[in-house]
Amino acid sequence: MAEILTLDDVEDASILVGKILKKKGHTVYTFTDEDDAIAHVRKQPVDLAILDIKLKRMSGIEVLALMKEINPAMRAIMLTGYPTMETAREAMGLGADEYCVKPIDRAELEEKVEKVLALAKTDKVN
Amino acid sequence: MTAVTGADAHADMGSPTAESGRFLDILQQTITMTSRVLDHQEVMETVVRELPELLNTDACTIRLLDESTQSFVLAAAHGVSMEYLSRENIDTEQTMQMIQAGYPVHTGQADDDTLLPLHDAARHEGINSVLSLPILFQGQVIGVMRLLNKNAARTFTKEEISCSMALAMQVGIAIAHGRMFEKQQSQLKFLRELQAFSRLVNSSLNLDDTLGTMARRAVESLHVKGCTLRLLDPSTKHLYLAASHGLSQAYLHRGEVESERGIQLVLAGEPVSIYDASHDGRVDYAKQMQDEGIVSLLAVPLRVQGEIIGVMRVLSGTPRIFTDAEIRFASTLAEVGGTAIHNARNYQKISKLLIRIEGHEKFLATIIDSLQHQLLVFNQDRRVVLANKQYLKAMNRPEAEVIGLHYDELCREERFCPVNHVFAGQDMQTLARELHEGDDGKWLERSAAPIFGDDGSIEYVIEIIRDVTSERKLAAAEVEQARLSGIVEMAGTVAHEINSPLFAALGTAELLVEDEGATAMAEELQVVIRNLQRISELTKKMTSMTGFERKQYVGESTVLSLDDGAD
Repeated sequence: MAEILTLDDVEDASILVGKILKKKGHTVYTFTDEDDAIAHVRKQPVDLAILDIKLKRMSGIEVLALMKEINPAMRAIMLTGYPTMETAREAMGLGADEYCVKPIDRAELEEKVEKVLALAKTDKVN
Repeated sequence: MTAVTGADAHADMGSPTAESGRFLDILQQTITMTSRVLDHQEVMETVVRELPELLNTDACTIRLLDESTQSFVLAAAHGVSMEYLSRENIDTEQTMQMIQAGYPVHTGQADDDTLLPLHDAARHEGINSVLSLPILFQGQVIGVMRLLNKNAARTFTKEEISCSMALAMQVGIAIAHGRMFEKQQSQLKFLRELQAFSRLVNSSLNLDDTLGTMARRAVESLHVKGCTLRLLDPSTKHLYLAASHGLSQAYLHRGEVESERGIQLVLAGEPVSIYDASHDGRVDYAKQMQDEGIVSLLAVPLRVQGEIIGVMRVLSGTPRIFTDAEIRFASTLAEVGGTAIHNARNYQKISKLLIRIEGHEKFLATIIDSLQHQLLVFNQDRRVVLANKQYLKAMNRPEAEVIGLHYDELCREERFCPVNHVFAGQDMQTLARELHEGDDGKWLERSAAPIFGDDGSIEYVIEIIRDVTSERKLAAAEVEQARLSGIVEMAGTVAHEINSPLFAALGTAELLVEDEGATAMAEELQVVIRNLQRISELTKKMTSMTGFERKQYVGESTVLSLDDGAD
């Protein structure tokens, strides 16, 4: 099972993602504050970060860039409420592996998490 | 030689009464004879031919005083040979002085007195005695009449001499009258020539034609061989040949003449008359003149209002002393011609200026007519003085119908008539209004700007009428687009803000259903989930919408149709 971090400025949304993924057996750390989430990544290894693009002070893309500096192997799924090609392309360019458009479909989320974690496993094997 | 008063002359003419009667008869015949003709030369010819018979002498000569040389020049003779007439000296200096002093002089034994300068000629001719009579007019000696006798016995009585003096005086009067008549005739002729010349040279305003006519007419009027007209170039101040008549190209192109003394004198304002061009220091091209057959010439300045603009030269093929009258006449021709040249030059300048102005006008008209906007120009009476093609086309009216129309007839709604505002003292005005032609709205913009006169008042006002319908429609579309963008952005933002709490609510409900299993609560939660999913679909549509369509709601209210507007 994987160590997963979720970051969303809407606390309930962050908690819900955590609940869904915990049911799948993953260890999930939920955050609403950017600094707290980054500090966590600095403190312990995280396999996957699920980041909302729109946060309180920073953008999810900026947070992703900082986390990747700390842990380049970390995988990421971006959550966006505004599915424009520009934000998606930018996120993917900065190392995001997938993105989900809000409101998130639970099945889609579960599927994409499994897919990205599988990629992480492949990386470790290689 | 004897200065006679008649008292010392021998009388052989019969009794005094008979002699007086005969003299009266001679005098009457002489007066009749001289009164028949007006030409003074003819008078002299008649006198020398007929007087010897009347006075019983053999020959008669008349010489006239040349005032310039103070010498007596042969004018008419009868009864003597050319050889005699061609002798070097007429008579002794003393005799000539006596004559000039107004006294008759009788010279006897001319053929025997070897001291006399005319002795040889008189002897050869057989002349024995000579009675020289001064020809007087108004107390001035104007000539000498000499009665020549071959018969030694012929002497002159006092009465004969008095009678001869009276005859000579009568001849003087006749000559003077003839001269005056001739002068008047000449002046009349000159006036007629001048009138004709003036009419001809002023009949055309073409400079080349005027110059050509001047040269030709000067030759005809002055009876000379040729004429040249040289003008000072206004810019270089050098002479150039402007026209000629009666002369060869070889002569005309003989070389530069500006430095000739004769030309320089004329340019200084002095007429120059040259009797013998082949031997005169004032001529540089004597040989070329000789080759051309030119003997004498007269050059006068061409003037305009006192300013010398060139030189006119008339060239004679025969030896000729140009008289004062001829010089004055030529000078007058040159002045009349100068004025005609000046007029022709001015006309030429004005014509060129007009052509340029016409060119500019045409260019301006082309520009005005090429404008895509309608253009009108109004005068101070607010009447149309210019309308371009675009305006006439838009109004579908001919120019003649539009020119002169009052502004009020063309613009009826005062608040949209900027020309009136400008005439009222306002600066440039631009006003626009919407017209309705059929179902389409049409926007016209009228701009007016003043044209000020020299005194600062408004002389004309230009009005430009533009069809700004496209601009207006574009601006309206841009406003609509901006509103649409705002609505779409607002919809996206709202949807985005709703999405996170919606996701939390929906996800939590779904987890609860999972946890509840098949209970009544689970069914109630399914209702919540269905409605949250419906909201979720709406937010998806809102975030993906690029346009929208309004639809009627209640009354005049409208709402957006998300179903139709979202792509």
